[in-house]
Amino acid sequence: MSIEVTLTVNGVTRTASVEARRTLADFLREDLELTGTHLGCEHGVCGACTVTVNGASARSCLMLAVQADGADVRTIEGLLEPDGSLGVLQQACADSHAFQCGFCTPGFLMTATELLAENATPTEDDVREAISGNLCRCTGYESIVQAVMLAAERGA
Amino acid sequence: MSSVAPAQRFVGQSVRRVEDARILTGRGRYIDDMQLPKMLHGVFVRSSIAHGRITGVEVDAARAMPGVVAIITAADLEGKVYPLSIQPEVPNVARPVFTALASDKVRYVGDPVALVIAESRYIAEDARDAVFVDYEPLVAVASIEHAEDSSRPNLFDDIDSNLLYSENRDFGDVEAAFAGARIVELTLRPQRVAHVPMECRGGIADYNAGSGDLVYYATTQSPHGLKLGLSGALAQPADQVRVITPDVGGAFGQKAGLQREDAALCAVSRILGRPVKWVEDRVENMTSASHARSEILEISAAVDEDGTIRGLDANMRLDVGAYPVLPFPPSFLGPIVRTMMTGPYHIPALRWANTVYATNKASYGTYRGPWAIETLAREALVDRIARELGLDPLDVRRRNVYTAEEQPTEMVTGPTIEGIRASEALERAAELAGEQEFRAAQTKAREEGRLIGLGYSSYIEPAPGPPNLFPSMESGLPPERAYARLEIDGHLTVTTAQAPHGQGHETTLAQVAATEMGIPLENVRIIHGDTQLTPFSVIGTGGSRAATMASGAALLATRSVKEKVLEIAGHIMEIAPSDLEIVDATVRPKGDPAGGMPLANVAGAAYFAAPPGEDAGLRSSSVMHEPPGGWSGGTHACQVEVDPLTGVVEITRYLVVEDCGDLINPAIVEGQIRGGIAQGIGIALLENALYDEEANFLAGTFMDYLVPTVMEVPRVEIEHLHGDALHEVNYRGVGEGGTIAAPPAVLNAVADALGGVEITTLPMTPERVLELIDG
Repeated sequence: MSIEVTLTVNGVTRTASVEARRTLADFLREDLELTGTHLGCEHGVCGACTVTVNGASARSCLMLAVQADGADVRTIEGLLEPDGSLGVLQQACADSHAFQCGFCTPGFLMTATELLAENATPTEDDVREAISGNLCRCTGYESIVQAVMLAAERGA
Repeated sequence: MSSVAPAQRFVGQSVRRVEDARILTGRGRYIDDMQLPKMLHGVFVRSSIAHGRITGVEVDAARAMPGVVAIITAADLEGKVYPLSIQPEVPNVARPVFTALASDKVRYVGDPVALVIAESRYIAEDARDAVFVDYEPLVAVASIEHAEDSSRPNLFDDIDSNLLYSENRDFGDVEAAFAGARIVELTLRPQRVAHVPMECRGGIADYNAGSGDLVYYATTQSPHGLKLGLSGALAQPADQVRVITPDVGGAFGQKAGLQREDAALCAVSRILGRPVKWVEDRVENMTSASHARSEILEISAAVDEDGTIRGLDANMRLDVGAYPVLPFPPSFLGPIVRTMMTGPYHIPALRWANTVYATNKASYGTYRGPWAIETLAREALVDRIARELGLDPLDVRRRNVYTAEEQPTEMVTGPTIEGIRASEALERAAELAGEQEFRAAQTKAREEGRLIGLGYSSYIEPAPGPPNLFPSMESGLPPERAYARLEIDGHLTVTTAQAPHGQGHETTLAQVAATEMGIPLENVRIIHGDTQLTPFSVIGTGGSRAATMASGAALLATRSVKEKVLEIAGHIMEIAPSDLEIVDATVRPKGDPAGGMPLANVAGAAYFAAPPGEDAGLRSSSVMHEPPGGWSGGTHACQVEVDPLTGVVEITRYLVVEDCGDLINPAIVEGQIRGGIAQGIGIALLENALYDEEANFLAGTFMDYLVPTVMEVPRVEIEHLHGDALHEVNYRGVGEGGTIAAPPAVLNAVADALGGVEITTLPMTPERVLELIDG
C-alpha cells in the first residue's frame, strides 16, 4: 500500500508516494537520492543514519517515511552555507581532522547540529554526552569532540 | 630533494584532508550509494544452525513472489564458480575445498545457502524469509577443545581431522636457556572479536554479456587481491575482470581477499546478464563476516632472579573458524606471531609450537595487528615475572629491552632490529606517567578503599618491517609500486596501489608528491581503487605498509617525472637540467626567483612537441623496496580506577610514547594511533563475539556486541620520539600499534589495581572484574 507524504527536506518541499513500510532512511537515500545519510546497523544503535526531524535528532533507520509527513527534515546535505561553502561545523571538522573513513560522519554532524542549536556554549562533557549514542570505529572520538568544541567557539 | 624550498614542504604539516571535501558534505560515494541501470538486489539465505547436512532447499514459494527474479543455490553455480581453496598449495597445510554457496553441508551459523535476487531489497528480504532449508543437524565443533576431540565430526569430509596445521620450531639454544632457570608461566585466552567497520560488506557485480567483461564495484581494501580471486574462481580472464572501489567505510582487515559472497554475486550477474547489488546489514555482518583473535597462548619464560628473560616457550592454538578467507592459508598467522614473539626485548631463545583448527564458526579474518597475541601475552607475562620475583614491572622491561647501543642486531627469530627507540620510549613513558607519584597515590587510595592501577606495554610494529622480515617468515611480498604523470596543465596525478578507507592517503601521498615536485598541494591528485588503472598489489591497504612503501613509491615516481621535466625544460631554456629547480610550479635556474617558466608551459611543450628527452609522455612507474629499519614502536601507559562495588573499569589516563619516524601529517598519524587504541580498549573491556557450546552466535547486534563509545575512550596523550633516519623515506606506519599495545596496557593496569591478580581472559567486563575481586 502506498501513501502520499509531503515533507520539507533541507528546505525543499517534497511530495512522494511511498510504501507504508519504507524507512525514512531508504526514502531519503533512494527516492530522493540524498545518499549522504548512511546506514550502519539498521537497528538504531550506531547513529550513522541520524537526521534531524523538526530540529530533533532521529534515527532514520527506525523511522518510517510516512511518520515524517509534514515534518521539516534536515540531512548532512543541508549543512552547507547558501553559497555552497562548508558550514561552520563542517569547517571545524575539516580543521580538526575529525573523521577518517567518513561513514559515521553524517550521524555525528546531525547530532552535533542538534546540540549546537540547543546549547551554543557546550562543555566538553556536554559534547561527549551528546555524541555518546553515535559509534565511530576509526577515530577514537577525540578529534570529533574537538571539532564540535571548535564549531561552538566559532559560533556554529 | 635539494631543490625544494622550505615554504613548499607540505610534509610534516597537518594539512587538511583532501577526502573531507566530499565526506563532510554527504558527497562521498560508498557502495550502497551506487545505482546502476537495470540493477537487481541480492540477499543471502544463511544457515540458522552451526553444523548440519542440507537435506532440502524449498524455493518455490519465494520464487513465486512478485518481483523475485531468481533464487540461486549451490547447484545453480556448479560449473560457474569453481571449488574454492587455498592457491597455491602450502606444504603441511590442510586445504579445505568448498563452494561459494553451501552445497552438502553448512558449517557455521550464517553460512550462505542461497542467494535471492529481486527487483528491490525489500522484496528480496521478503523472499529470503520464504525460503526454507531443511537440515540434518550434526554435532557442532564450537571450540578448540571440541576440535581436538576426535569423537566430534570433521568439518570437511576430505580432511580427516579438524586440525589443519601444526608447527614446532626452536630458535636459539632453548635447552640452555631453560636449564636451571626459574620458570614463570601464563596462559592467555582472549576472546573472539569482530572488526566492525561502520560500513558493512557489499558489492555490485556488473557483467556485460556482450563484451564478456565483469566489473565488480566492491567495498574492499585489496582490489587486486579480489580481482585475482574472482578471476580464478570464475575462470574469467584477468583482462576481463575489473574491480573498482568507491569510498570504503572502514575495513580493519575484514574487507581483504576474496569472500565467498563476492564469487556468488559475480557468478549470478554473469548468469543473469544484469548488475546485482548485495549490501549486508549489521546482523549479517556480525554473524557472517570474519572475526579474529581468540588464540589460546600458553607461554612460559625462563628467567634469572634479576628479571633477565633467558628464553620463552610459547604454544599457540588457533581457531580459524569454518572457511579460510582466500587467499590466506590456515597457517598464515603462526609465522608472524612466532617472529614477533620476543618483541622489543633481547631474548635469545624461543621454543614455538602452533596448531590451527577448524571450528563451526565464522571465518577468521586478519584484524588490525593480527599478531597482537604476542604483545598481549608477552607484556602480561612480563608483569607476572615482576610479581613472582618481587620486582618492579618497569625494571623487568628495562633489563630486557633493546638499547640503542646494541643495535643493529637480530631477533632470535631472524629480523634485524635497527633504529628502534624502545628503551627511550619506556623511560619517557614512565616519566610522563609519573610512576613514583602514582605509587604514592595508589597506596593512599587503597587505604581509602579505592582501587587504582597503572600498567605498561611495550611493543614494536613491523611498519613495514626490515627487508629480512618476510624471509624470516618463509614468505615474501612484492614491493610497492606507484605511477606518476604530469598533466598538460602542470598538475600531477599519482596512482597508488593502496586502497585507502580512512587512512587519508589522498592527502598524505599528495603531500609527499607535491613537496618533491615543487608544486602546490592542490595541484596533486591521488588515484586509487581501480584495477584497470592502479599498479598491482595483492594486499592493497594493510600491514601498515603505506607510510613507508606507498609514500616511497609515490616519491620515486614523482622524482622520475621531475627528472624528465627538468630534462625537457633544460632543452627549452638551454640550461643544464642539474642547474634547474622547480619552485611553486615554476621551473627556474637555481636561486633565481625572477627567471624560469611555468611548469604548465614545460608540460604543454612536452605534450604537443615531443622534444628531446620526452619518452612516451611525462609519466613514470616506480618501485619501492623495503628500506632498512622499518619498525614503529614504543610504550603505552594506562591508569585505571576500578569500582570495587560494580566492577566497572574506568581509564583515567592513557598515554603513548612512540616512534614512527618523520610524520607526513601529524593529525593523521595521531588519528591512527587514537583510533587503534579505541579498538584495543574495546578488546580489553567490552567486545565479545561470543558463541555458545553448540556454536550458536550470540552477538549479532550492537546491543550484544559492545563497540566503545566516546564515554569509554579517554583522551590519549601522545608523544613522538625522533632520531636519526636510516633511509631517505623515514616514514613508518602506525595503523596497528594502538590496537596491539592497548589491550595489555589496560590488562596490566587492571591487574595492578586489583593487587597483582592474574588475568587470563578478555574482555574485562564488570562481571569478570567482580569475580577477580572476589578471588
